[in-house]
Amino acid sequence: MTDVALQSRGGQRDTPPAAEGGARERTALRRWIADAPAAYLLLAPVLVLFAFSVVYPLIQTIWLSFFDIKGLAKPRFYGFGNFVTLFYDGNFRQAVVTTLLWTVCTTALSVGAGWGIALLSALAPRQTLIFRFMIFAAFGVSEAVTGYIWLGIYRPDASGLLNSLLYGIGLGQFAHPWLGDAHTAIWCLIIAYSWAQTGLPLLLIYAATQAISKNVLEAAYVDGASPLQIMRHIIAPLSMPGVRVALFINLLGSLRAFDTIYVLTAGGPVRSTETIGFFMFRESFTQFKLGYGAAATLVLLVAVLIVSLPAIIQRTAGAR
Amino acid sequence: MIGKAPRWIPVVVGLISIAWIVPLIGIVVTSIRPEADTVLGWWRLDHIQLTIDAWIRVWSKYRLGDGFWVSAQLAGIATIGSMILTPAAAYAFQFLKFPFRRTLLIIIINAFVLPQQVVVIPLFTLWRQMGLIDNLLAVLIPYVGLSFAWSIFLVKNFLEDFPKELVEAGRIDGCGPISTFFHVVLPNTLSSIFAVGILQFLFCWNSLLIPLLFLRTEVPLPVVFAQISGQYDPNWDLRAVAAIVTTIVPLIIFLVFQRQFAGGSLTTSGSKE
Amino acid sequence: MTTGIVPHAAAVTRRALMVGASAIAMMLMGAPSFAADVSGDLVLLDWASGSEQDMIKALEDGFMKANPNVHFKEINLTVQGDARGAIRAALQSGEKADIFINTWPAFRKELADAGLLRDLGPLWDSAKLGDNLSDAWKALGTTDGKLYGITYTFGDRSAMFYKTETMKKAGIDTQPTTWDEFVSNFKKLNDAKVIPIAIGAKVWSHAEWFESIYEHLNGVEKAADLAAHKIPWTDDSVKNTLKKWAELIKAGCCGDANTMLAMDWDNASDAVMKAGTHGYQMIGMWNNDRAQSTDGLKSGVDFSIQQFPAMGAGHDDVSSVDSKEFSGLTIGSNQAAADAFLTWITTAEAANIVAAHNLASPSNKVDASLYSTVVKASVDAVSKDKVQFVLGDLLPGDLVDEYRVQLQKFLQDPSDAGIDAVTQAIEAKAATAY
Repeated sequence: MTDVALQSRGGQRDTPPAAEGGARERTALRRWIADAPAAYLLLAPVLVLFAFSVVYPLIQTIWLSFFDIKGLAKPRFYGFGNFVTLFYDGNFRQAVVTTLLWTVCTTALSVGAGWGIALLSALAPRQTLIFRFMIFAAFGVSEAVTGYIWLGIYRPDASGLLNSLLYGIGLGQFAHPWLGDAHTAIWCLIIAYSWAQTGLPLLLIYAATQAISKNVLEAAYVDGASPLQIMRHIIAPLSMPGVRVALFINLLGSLRAFDTIYVLTAGGPVRSTETIGFFMFRESFTQFKLGYGAAATLVLLVAVLIVSLPAIIQRTAGAR
Repeated sequence: MIGKAPRWIPVVVGLISIAWIVPLIGIVVTSIRPEADTVLGWWRLDHIQLTIDAWIRVWSKYRLGDGFWVSAQLAGIATIGSMILTPAAAYAFQFLKFPFRRTLLIIIINAFVLPQQVVVIPLFTLWRQMGLIDNLLAVLIPYVGLSFAWSIFLVKNFLEDFPKELVEAGRIDGCGPISTFFHVVLPNTLSSIFAVGILQFLFCWNSLLIPLLFLRTEVPLPVVFAQISGQYDPNWDLRAVAAIVTTIVPLIIFLVFQRQFAGGSLTTSGSKE
Repeated sequence: MTTGIVPHAAAVTRRALMVGASAIAMMLMGAPSFAADVSGDLVLLDWASGSEQDMIKALEDGFMKANPNVHFKEINLTVQGDARGAIRAALQSGEKADIFINTWPAFRKELADAGLLRDLGPLWDSAKLGDNLSDAWKALGTTDGKLYGITYTFGDRSAMFYKTETMKKAGIDTQPTTWDEFVSNFKKLNDAKVIPIAIGAKVWSHAEWFESIYEHLNGVEKAADLAAHKIPWTDDSVKNTLKKWAELIKAGCCGDANTMLAMDWDNASDAVMKAGTHGYQMIGMWNNDRAQSTDGLKSGVDFSIQQFPAMGAGHDDVSSVDSKEFSGLTIGSNQAAADAFLTWITTAEAANIVAAHNLASPSNKVDASLYSTVVKASVDAVSKDKVQFVLGDLLPGDLVDEYRVQLQKFLQDPSDAGIDAVTQAIEAKAATAY
């Protein structure tokens, strides 16, 4: 029996033997037709809200991307011109590279850290509660506050926590203008953002570890396995579903990162830390070239769609 | 838990979490020291003077009570909305068969990538035309609508490990798809619903951009606090107070409800025996 | 303050006509009203925050006291960073206001071209605003020959802030007035372990140096031409400015480029005012407030300003300034009240509110004794000079962005080859931006 406590209102029912092959197919087709009204009923409010919040703005964005808009001047039709310009725009190409680096690294770091801490905490849940809480608190502060916190850590002179620490332990020669050097700025940003995002994978993966049957763990413990062995061979594999969810959510979430970048580097120095999301903001909000910004957004969406499509198709293929 | 928890674990985790604890302590310290002392770093010891001046000023200068109430309304309603609608949708996607199932799912999940800035300007014009500016609905609709991208994914993932024999049992016994949902599936997915609830509450409570543009007279806490820093005066001490005040509520909610979803697991390990 | 020659219409005969016609004029839309009892709602599109917002509130209260039948309402835009994005969004989606606050001449042009701004020329003449504001301020609020904005505060952008303690430490007793004196002081500062200039190049404040050097070498008219793209960015005037700036860097003014790029203007301000690691910072007059409120220093005592030194190229009577103005929007519904407000804002009462909030007022009627030492010094300096609006705020949207980024690149590589690359890049962007 599963660990999930079952409370079926209609009382317990025995699982009947599986239907034979032919009957199963007929049932499937009948289901497909019979299910539709119910499905749409359950989905109706979702679809309506979704249409307002996402579909309508998306259509607008697509529409805008075909226009050349400068500030409040009259928009003029531009066909695919924006996309062509994007292709030749060095800043956009740089943004694409930066975005790839950004998503991979922040996701790996935040999920990795969350996973490690979750594995450790799984064996001592009560004692680690306060620490998990603090890490989740870091996730709970808004992105902008995260930016300000790390701004204070990375400040170039001795008024930055990092440099101050380095001076304090005698490693003053490593003190550096972290956010002003194009080589270090992006890594500092990645660390800052991952720091904030660790709380969510920690939450999800830790919850997954809590679902592991206590019997299994007790048995392993009685058999003399050390905590590290338990972690490696039992908890880690069984937490994979949680890891998968965390990976997906953090991956897509990292594409929306904005405030942290804005506060820490404003996309600089010399536009070297701009992700596509920031590029879109810069074009749409700061320079009010709404058409150009819209085109950038669309490119991002299409790219994500292409990447995520195989994964989603695969996961929904074996649907019941 | 199992036997005796190894003593070195809290120590190791504690050491690791210093990286998170220290900056958070920094915020608290910044809120209780005069701004001139913390300008060059909140850890500076040249001149130590504790003061609750920032806390008093924030309270007297900004309509915190109103901000709290509006934030509570917005986050509360949006959370309940998500908690009700998401499991229904996730169930439909997971267990029911209907045309466009996969297409809709792909569209909804990929919407997660859409940055808020893209959504905000077209919606602004639409709400203006519909006369919804300064109406809570203008904010609630995007709050709930934008949550589906991640919430449906979360609950659906949980449902993937839900024993489909139970669902089959329900169907064979004559339950239509909807009553199967209410009687069989829903009672057993509470943990994932709570997870959606907590996360949605957190996101909505902290959300700034949407209420910034859509609300005027009654604004939630983040908007109240956005007015704190002028273009040229940073007011770090006031901002620190604002950050603490804004963050404390979702964290308390998390503490209160964290058993709810940790217990039943929303990302089951599939360990069935 | 001098400016280009502005023909001044004869006011006397006009006034007689206006008095007679005012009754009829009041019926017409857009006609200025002289009745002291304007009434109704007056809507302000307001994006100010912090202490600026306090001053706006004080102005609103003052106006409502003088005109009890008017009720001031605000469309409050809380903004992050550049306010123009939010203002555009608000205007585009149909928000209606009577007046709004503007601080960018380029934005003024954009709105005027879109038909959103009212021509305030007739109001200037009929309400005799020229009695309160000199023609130079009228010129500053003018785009394409029409007056669109009434300036209510301005700031000197050619002032260098310094901390008295740092100067004493370096043994500098009198502040330099010429370029050579300024540069020769660098040695004293470096010897005292102080970096002479704090340049906050993270976003925009490094451009201040380019602009002041440019104006002192080439004059305000040429700067205006550059802003309007009448001369290209590859022009020698630009290159000479950058070469002069490169000289400064070679003379050890600013520390290394990465540190400059890591500092925003507030970090630079802290470095000068609080930490004492840097000597001068050229930044707007809001730093006066910041040093007092955030850093806890006393204006005029712990810190002061020194105007940008003379460069001896024949254009030393220039100052770079910023200003904030109120503009009338065509989409508003209470133009009478708007006009009354725009008139009132130039009077002594309003000017003194501005001065009391530690800001400079352009009005002739302001009580100068309300100014703090530093503000007074800035006002005196500017009143003697020809003024030019901050170049960055005159350039259209994507050009100003590129301009700032390229100047960052210049700081990374101030060689002649670097200068060529930078000027070409800015010019390439300028070609498509107008």
